[in-house]
Amino acid sequence: MARASVRSGRAAVRPFLRLFVAPAVLCALGFAAALAAVMQYSLRAYVPGSLEAGGFTLANFAALIRPLYARVFLDTVWICFLTASFTLIVGYPLAYALVHARNVALKSAILVIAVTPLFLGEVVRTYSWIVVLGNNGFLNSMLLKLGLVDAPMQFMFTEFGVITALVHVTLPVMVIMLAAALSHIDRDYERAAASLGAGPIRVFLTVTLPLSTPGIIAGVTTAFAWTFSAFATPQLIGGGRVNMVANLVYQLGFASFNFPFAASLSVAGLILTFAVLALMRAAASPLERIRQH
Amino acid sequence: MPAEPRFSAPARVADGTNGSAHAAVALTGVTKQFGKITALDAVSLFVRHGELMTLLGPSGCGKTTLLHLVAGFLIPESGEIAIDGQRITDVPAYRREIGIMFQNYALFPHMSVAGNVGYGLRMRRIARPEIDRRIADALALVKLAGLEERRPRQLSGGQQQRVALARALVIRPKVLLLDEPFSALDRNLRASMQVELKEIQRKLGVTTIFVTHDQSEALSLSDRIAVIADGRIRQLNTPHEVYRHPSDRFVASFIGDANVLRAHLERIEGAVASVALGAARVTVPMRTLEGSAVGSAVDLFVRPEDLRVAETDAAAAAHGTIAAQIYQGGHIDLYVDAPEVSSGRVLLRVPSHEAASLRPAGTRIAIALAADVAIAFRSA
Ligand SMILES: Nc1ncnc2c1ncn2[C@@H]1O[C@H](COP(=O)(O)OP(=O)(O)O)[C@@H](O)[C@H]1O
Ligand SMILES: [Mg+2]
Repeated sequence: MARASVRSGRAAVRPFLRLFVAPAVLCALGFAAALAAVMQYSLRAYVPGSLEAGGFTLANFAALIRPLYARVFLDTVWICFLTASFTLIVGYPLAYALVHARNVALKSAILVIAVTPLFLGEVVRTYSWIVVLGNNGFLNSMLLKLGLVDAPMQFMFTEFGVITALVHVTLPVMVIMLAAALSHIDRDYERAAASLGAGPIRVFLTVTLPLSTPGIIAGVTTAFAWTFSAFATPQLIGGGRVNMVANLVYQLGFASFNFPFAASLSVAGLILTFAVLALMRAAASPLERIRQH
Repeated sequence: MPAEPRFSAPARVADGTNGSAHAAVALTGVTKQFGKITALDAVSLFVRHGELMTLLGPSGCGKTTLLHLVAGFLIPESGEIAIDGQRITDVPAYRREIGIMFQNYALFPHMSVAGNVGYGLRMRRIARPEIDRRIADALALVKLAGLEERRPRQLSGGQQQRVALARALVIRPKVLLLDEPFSALDRNLRASMQVELKEIQRKLGVTTIFVTHDQSEALSLSDRIAVIADGRIRQLNTPHEVYRHPSDRFVASFIGDANVLRAHLERIEGAVASVALGAARVTVPMRTLEGSAVGSAVDLFVRPEDLRVAETDAAAAAHGTIAAQIYQGGHIDLYVDAPEVSSGRVLLRVPSHEAASLRPAGTRIAIALAADVAIAFRSA
């Protein structure tokens, strides 16, 4: 009887299911079609001087292993790795303070610093970093004033500059994901640990940190995938000297009009992202069951 | 509220600054506020060594707050807390040597049973062989030997509870705190865990503060009960005294079932008074009737087991019609409509063997008082 009522209840609760699913299906179909088009392009030959693609070929993918292109892939993975790591290191304390602070002013300050940049958009945030990182920028004038350097240091057009800006761009997502994970940890766990004799640092290391690993994994993988598709930041701050996959796709597609090769780069990038994320999950799975015995 | 003199000796001693040395846990004038809410209002409480003290009160009355103050998770706005005579008001939780069991157990999900139970020992940097030995002892105590390697989520609710108890006890705490530990268990399991907790607590002689909002649990487990309402202790006494001699109207209605019957004050004789209910007379203490004049209406509180079906009309306290008869095994609950004494149903609890002579629902009966002492309050 109970089962029957649950079933009929379900039907009653979801009378609009089809209505709501329809737009989602339309969107999904659109994405699938676009992806299929890109995949299809990636397997076509490039006809120089023409926007039309030639016959089917695997030549585009074979060209990817040329050092020039392979290098960009490796650089991108490396930049993503560093960005995700630094974002975690900067974001964790912010998320922790956001969740644990009693002071409302402190909470709002953290929210403003860490989360509102999300609404500014990548381009605006990147321009603000040009103001900070430029030769006459804020950072250099500080260093000069403090006498730490004699001449302006080169931050623009360096990997350092790109990663710094990317960390800032990625930080809001990281903080939101970590804060969500941290706020779901019942405070009684920390209280129990304290009552058993653990000081604040040991409570953090043995209870809070291990229990937040799902959030760390989610945050790092999201930051990684988020950064992998970065375009405006490496374009503006890297200025052609620091190239990530998206910049290469742009150059090939819109400077050389080699659509088939740009498409194969995109597909390769997508596959690589999935591969790296799968690898990270596999590497992190023992972390999800940290043993403390 | 002051306790009965007989039971308040330690509290009296604790009036001075160092009098609390006699108590295992002493709270003196402790006030805790959350913004504008006063969760605890100048509470003083003295728990004796080895006793099981229950904090009983409705949800939101401040029980958990009191427990968290003793554990060190909260700092009071004013007042002092001492354990074994040492002031610990602002000592952090991790230096208090207190075992606490949470309502949802709070077992570390990322550690095994042994990892959980051994946590407090590892924090004390005890040698590995001794840790293993004490984990084994603690698990044997709660009858969980052999489950060392299980994860909390692989255990039943009752087993998780035992792990939580073992984890709190293994550090040999000065005080054991239990926050509504049985509320998540089903009825049968709850009863057996209550008995077991009581046995373990006796065996170890550990001073225990037990929080519950379940009055029958409080009556069956406690050495003494502190009845709390709105952040204040209303009465502190043994279960029997609290049940039989409630200090005020709130305690009388919160603990046990009570019939509130319309009666009137017939005679005052010093500290006691005689109350008339129909043809019946009952003696009540005057302390709860301060200011009532002879002849005024009072609310007489009578336990269901203190009412009987009268054989004759001669001593009838009231007349009524049986509305429902509920068989409870050892006794029968009789619900009676008696509009002359109560606007609600009157509950009579009669032993089953007496019930054979009862007539079915709808019959009129006379109700008699089976006790000659009760308690009355001024009509609200
Ligand atoms: N952290 C808190 N912040 C604000 N109010 C609180 C907090 N903890 C408890 N309170 C309030 O204090 C009162 C007592 O709460 P509590 O001690 O949890 O009651 P109980 O355990 O008896 O149900 C309640 O009114 C509750 O809303
Ligand atoms: Mg509570």
